[in-house]
Parts: sequence; C-alpha cells; structure tokens
Amino acid sequence: MRLFSHGCESRQAAYLAWADRPDVGERIALEAHAASCVECGDALRNAKRVDAALRGAFSPLRDRRTVIAPGRVRLAVGPRSTATNPWLRAPRFVGRLAEVAVMVGVTLFAVSTTFDPSAAPSSSTRATHSVVQAYVRAQPPLSDIDYLRWLRLNKPDVSSTASDQTRLPMGGRFDGDPVEIQKALGLSPR
Amino acid sequence: MKTQRDPAAGDARTDHDLVYAARDGDTVAFDALFYRYRDGIFRLGLAITKDPSAAEEIVVDTFARAHRALARLEPDDSLRPWLYRVAVNLSYNRRPRKGLVLSSLDEAVDEPLANEDGSPSHVAEQAELRRLVLGAVDELGPKHRLVVVLHYMNGLNLTEIAEVVDCPVGTVKSRLHYALRRLRKHLAAHPELGIEPTRPIIATELRVPKPITAEVPLEGE
Repeated sequence: MRLFSHGCESRQAAYLAWADRPDVGERIALEAHAASCVECGDALRNAKRVDAALRGAFSPLRDRRTVIAPGRVRLAVGPRSTATNPWLRAPRFVGRLAEVAVMVGVTLFAVSTTFDPSAAPSSSTRATHSVVQAYVRAQPPLSDIDYLRWLRLNKPDVSSTASDQTRLPMGGRFDGDPVEIQKALGLSPR
Repeated sequence: MKTQRDPAAGDARTDHDLVYAARDGDTVAFDALFYRYRDGIFRLGLAITKDPSAAEEIVVDTFARAHRALARLEPDDSLRPWLYRVAVNLSYNRRPRKGLVLSSLDEAVDEPLANEDGSPSHVAEQAELRRLVLGAVDELGPKHRLVVVLHYMNGLNLTEIAEVVDCPVGTVKSRLHYALRRLRKHLAAHPELGIEPTRPIIATELRVPKPITAEVPLEGE
C-alpha cells in the first residue's frame, strides 16, 4: 500500500479537457480511460461544470468595451515622432550646441581666474581690519571697559616709537651709540 | 437608424502588414491595430487592477510602448501576445497595494445585468452565481488567476498564454490545472452549481484490484 498517492497521471489532462481542446484522437483516448478510472471520470465530469461556470461568469466581462480614441496614444507618445526629418532637428541641435559652448566658456573662465595670482584680490584682510579699527576709534567710550579698550587702541604704537630716529646728544655722545670701554693694558689713560 | 461601424473591422490586413505600414508612418494602420486590440487589453487591465480608469491608462500606455517599439517589433503572425505581455506587466505595476480595498472583479459587471432576459428572480440568481464564481477566482494566487483570466475572459489558448506570461506551455497547463482544482473545491460548497466535492484519493481503491468474491454455500442449505 502506498502512503502518498499522486493520483492518476491523466488527471491533469482530464481537468484541462475543456480548456485545452485536445484533438479527436486524444479526446477518445481520454474518455476511454475515464470510463475505467474513477478519479479521471470524476475530474472530467466536474471540470466540465467548473468550465461552464467560469465561462458564464466571465461572459458579461467579455462584452465589456472601452471608447478610448487613438488620439490619446498620440498625446502620450508626444510630438517626438513627427520630427523624423534630420533637417527639422537642425535648429534644436544649434541651440543645444550654443548652450554647451557657453557652459564650457564660463567654466574655463572660472578655472583660469581661480589659478591666476595676478587676478586675485590683494590685502583684502588688512583693509577689513583697518576699517574696523577706524570705526571703533571713532566711537566715544560709553562704559569703563569700552573706554579702556579705546585707550588701548589709541595708545601710541610701540613699533613707531622704537623706530624713531631722533637722537639727542648726551655728554658729547649720542645716547644710542654703544659705549666701548677701551682698556690698554699697562698704560695710563693719559 | 444609423449604426456605428466598428473601426477594427474595416482593415483586413494582418498584424504583420499593419506593423510594417505603421513603421513607415501610416497612422491609419496604427489606429487599426489600436481598435483591434483595445477592448481585449482594457478587459485584461480591468481584471487585474479592478479599476476602469486604470485599465484605460493601461491601454494607452501599452500602445504608447508599442508605438515607440515599432522599429523593433517583428510580429510573426499576431501582435496580441506581445501587447498582452506589456499590458500584464503594466497592470501588475498599477495593482493596488496591500491594505487598499478596491471593488472585486464581480463588481465590474454592471451594465450587462440590465440586458439579460428572464424573470427578475432568475437574473438575481444568475448574478449571485456569477458573484460566487468570480469571488472564488479572486481568491486564487496572482499567477493562477492570470491564467484563468487570460483563458476565460480574453479567450487566449494555452500556447498564447505561455507567450504572454513567458513560460513553457507545460507550466501554463499545470497552473490552470491547479486553478481549476482549487475552484472546484471552493465552488463545491454551493450545490446550485452542481459541482461535486473533491473525493479523497485512496491508493488502495485506485491501484489494488478488488478481490474476487463468490457466494459460498453454507452447510445444510
């Protein structure tokens, strides 16, 4: 006794007898087999009823129609199909070429100015710094802290004082000259 | 009374001739192809999406694709499998997502009920049976449902269905066999359809020959 039976091998053919429309020879062989096989006879009989029920159920849908016009397809496709002549596409090609040329020119100009040192703006940071300082100097001190800041900003520049070349005479010598003490060994200064 | 002439019936050329004419810019040929397959693609889209407006868009998109592919199309005999394959793919792309409840396939049947002959009770009974059957089709899986729809609604034979779904004919037979068995199982619960329930397969009943029995005379008779 088989535990897992797959049924008769002709069962699929019996179910599809109404859908597949086999030729006369196959049909006669199938019906002859179904007469002796319980399972195939059952399948053939009920497949006919299922087939009839399906055909009846789908028959109203089979008559369903639509009224779409082919113009909607042309609209969906667009005017691309009309421009099949290459001469009609020439103006569009020229326009596209001009666009590309302008784009390349702008890009090259931007690249060349980026890497050219002579075209770069000079001392921009110093100018900004001096403008800020001038503005702050011009403001009157409002509070103590601002006043202190203002004083510090308006303090005389140390570097300019240090570089002042005004030299005053002191004792026959200039104050800035280094004093060298000359010592003669064994000799009196006189 | 003036009747409207079917535009598809006017052109007797084959699909092959119409495709080549449309490729040369003959819009009348393309329109003839459109009218020839418009309704079938609409019904197919309607069966899958269950939405008439989506089905109309599928018709337009299918023929728009055909128009763009005219230069590559080489139909041997019929353009129908190619068009239906495109329509099936578009329909499944537009299929409602899970959680979105649309009307069932049987709810798309509205106008023909008014034209049926017979008493109102008969009409109602037929509509109920139709609803049962289409409801059972709705419960099939997408692959099995597509095969049933293509065969019973669009009238494609199994070879054409194999071209549409792009698989061997044996696979189509297997899917249709499975679908019919499932439908039989579902519809057997409704005795008005006259479908018997599936019998359990008993291996011994099928394979083991029945023992030969004969009456044995009892002693004393």
